[in-house]
Amino acid sequence: MTDHPLLDIRDFSLVFDTFDGTYHAIDGVNLSLQPGEALGLVGETGCGKSVLTRAAFGLVPSPPARITGGSVQLQGRELLGLSDRALRQVRGREVAMIFQDPMTYLNPVFRVGTQLVDAIRAQSGGQTKRDEAKAIALDMLEKVQLPNPNRQFAAYPHELSGGMRQRVLIAMALAAKPKLLIADEPTTALDVTIQAQILDLMAELVADMGLTMIMISHDLGVVAQVCSRIAVMYAGKIVEDAPVARIFDAPAHPYTKGLLAALPHPFRRQDRLESIPGTLPDLLHPPAGCLFAARCPHAAPICAKPVPMRRIDDSHRVACTLYDPAREKDRADA
Amino acid sequence: MQRLILKRLGLMVVMLLGLAVITFTVANIAPGDPARLAAGPDASPDMVEKIRVERGFDRALPVRFGLYLGQLAQGDLGTSVYTGRPVAQDIAVFLPATIELVLFSILIAVVLGVPFGVLAAVWQNHLPDHAIRFLSVSGVALPMFWLGLMLQWYLSLELGLFPLGGRLGTFDDVPTTITGMISIDALLVGDLATAGTALMHMVLPATALSFPALAAIIRVNRAEMLEVLGRDYVVNARAQGIGPFRIIAIYALKNAILPTLAMIGLRFGWMLGGTVLVESVFDFPGIGLYAAKAAISSDFEPIMAVTLILGAAFMLTNLLIDLMYALLDPRVRNQI
Ligand SMILES: Nc1ncnc2c1ncn2[C@@H]1O[C@H](COP(=O)(O)OP(=O)(O)OP(=O)(O)O)[C@@H](O)[C@H]1O
Ligand code: SF4
Ligand SMILES: [Mg+2]
Repeated sequence: MTDHPLLDIRDFSLVFDTFDGTYHAIDGVNLSLQPGEALGLVGETGCGKSVLTRAAFGLVPSPPARITGGSVQLQGRELLGLSDRALRQVRGREVAMIFQDPMTYLNPVFRVGTQLVDAIRAQSGGQTKRDEAKAIALDMLEKVQLPNPNRQFAAYPHELSGGMRQRVLIAMALAAKPKLLIADEPTTALDVTIQAQILDLMAELVADMGLTMIMISHDLGVVAQVCSRIAVMYAGKIVEDAPVARIFDAPAHPYTKGLLAALPHPFRRQDRLESIPGTLPDLLHPPAGCLFAARCPHAAPICAKPVPMRRIDDSHRVACTLYDPAREKDRADA
Repeated sequence: MQRLILKRLGLMVVMLLGLAVITFTVANIAPGDPARLAAGPDASPDMVEKIRVERGFDRALPVRFGLYLGQLAQGDLGTSVYTGRPVAQDIAVFLPATIELVLFSILIAVVLGVPFGVLAAVWQNHLPDHAIRFLSVSGVALPMFWLGLMLQWYLSLELGLFPLGGRLGTFDDVPTTITGMISIDALLVGDLATAGTALMHMVLPATALSFPALAAIIRVNRAEMLEVLGRDYVVNARAQGIGPFRIIAIYALKNAILPTLAMIGLRFGWMLGGTVLVESVFDFPGIGLYAAKAAISSDFEPIMAVTLILGAAFMLTNLLIDLMYALLDPRVRNQI
């Protein structure tokens, strides 16, 4: 099966129709995951990580969103164009999502147990009976190491701490034994110690259940702990895609280098985090060439033309003219 | 919970006292000689003076207020000059009619307003939303009094679809009084025909009375639903594969209904006030019409009694709404 990707996103593009015009949120994204792989998706805020991973499974309301092209295949099955009902089934059974802020992703006016049972029943398309669902829910709460599962089952979300709620959300997401887990910054909103606990738990569950995972984060450090591969996103495009070690030891894209430089270094005293000057380009009127050009120290005239993703080797792809043989020629011509 | 209820009831007594002071003062500053009114049009000046002393109209205002409170404390609401009966007796007859009308109106406003608000939110910027918003704007723009007259003129005078006014036809038998609400009493004794007639009599006044509340409920519920449907827990529910009906009607609505409830409580008060106008238009013998007639004839004690009763009803409703809030929202429940 390893030759067949579990998730295969090709040329995926999405725009938002806004009052100010067409906002090109996602542009020509290619991303594929082998079964059992854990991919980290990183990039600064607003670059489209959430929109990409939600829209692929029909979770971004349209309007305002409009998918303008591409394909999303899960185990060889095309998801774009599926009916709402079919997509709901995919979300319930095959793809699980956990999100950033456990405080806001549970409904405040229903008991934790009610929400778990509802979700578990929906995941099975209503096949599971209430008491079966309750048994599954309690079992899952045990699995995510929530203390006192029976008591928390009857509690309301506001009676639980952030870490406990995130455990509940993980239990909910994984109850249907999905194949793919999308974790959208699952620890960002938590205290550092709790963060570590949740990351450990997730790593354990991913291994246990043989999950394939996309972990979204703007923190390269977090991603490095749980993932084997990293895809770097910038302004709605994937700009680099490589194994974790490669990203840290030999980053290819200037943007990735910038992200790494912004990481606090454990052995060097730093008074100030280096960050990349400048901001995201205006995606209402995106330039034709490299979207990073305005912030890039290596920008050259050739960067104003479309920059395709190219392979450096089997496992490493990058979208940058620095790796384009034509670049030297271009300079020689000039 | 019990402590909250007791505290609120205590507060209610204080607020009612305040209300009594204000109404008492206003009613006494208003022109007109109460002794003259009480004595009747044919009374001689001597008679008027005698009544003035007898009824205490010559005393200072605070003293008279004290006397009135003492009388209230004994459960005596006084006597109506206009009907010549004890106010308590009048109110026992008229209050159930108004309660019936207002409950019916609230029912209309809630039963239509909440689903309309939900529909408008779900179909935001589509035809159902535009239609419902038009209805909602009309509810704000049309005065209740005018709407009542128009309904009466067109639907009952022109088309003859509904009775002109009153609670029952002249020749209908009034069912045995149990609650005093005719439709309910008729239902209780199994008299469906009379219950139907009573409801038909209430359709137009209740429509006029409920329209502004309907508009307000739609507006609040639509806005809340829009807000709630964008919340993270809705995204999570969708991510779990939960269907749209369950998400809208249960997950979202239970959150959105909370502010709507507050609006319902507020509007209930407006409705009580509105009965004065609407009952006058439809000659509906309730406490509003009673108050209107009392006000016109400067009939002091009925005015006081009606004001206090409407005030108490408003306060009780809002207490009830707060308790429902606590029932629906566990975060509020924990605070009380
Ligand atoms: N409903 C919408 N209408 C218009 N624009 C939107 C909408 N939702 C998202 N966007 C835009 O799409 C872009 C990508 O947003 P997205 O939430 O995917 O960013 P992100 O990479 O997940 O950021 P973060 O790290 O802050 O979560 C943002 O610039 C955002 O403004
Ligand atoms: S393509 Fe050009 S501008 Fe873009 S990152 Fe590479 S060198 Fe910089
Ligand atoms: Mg995001």
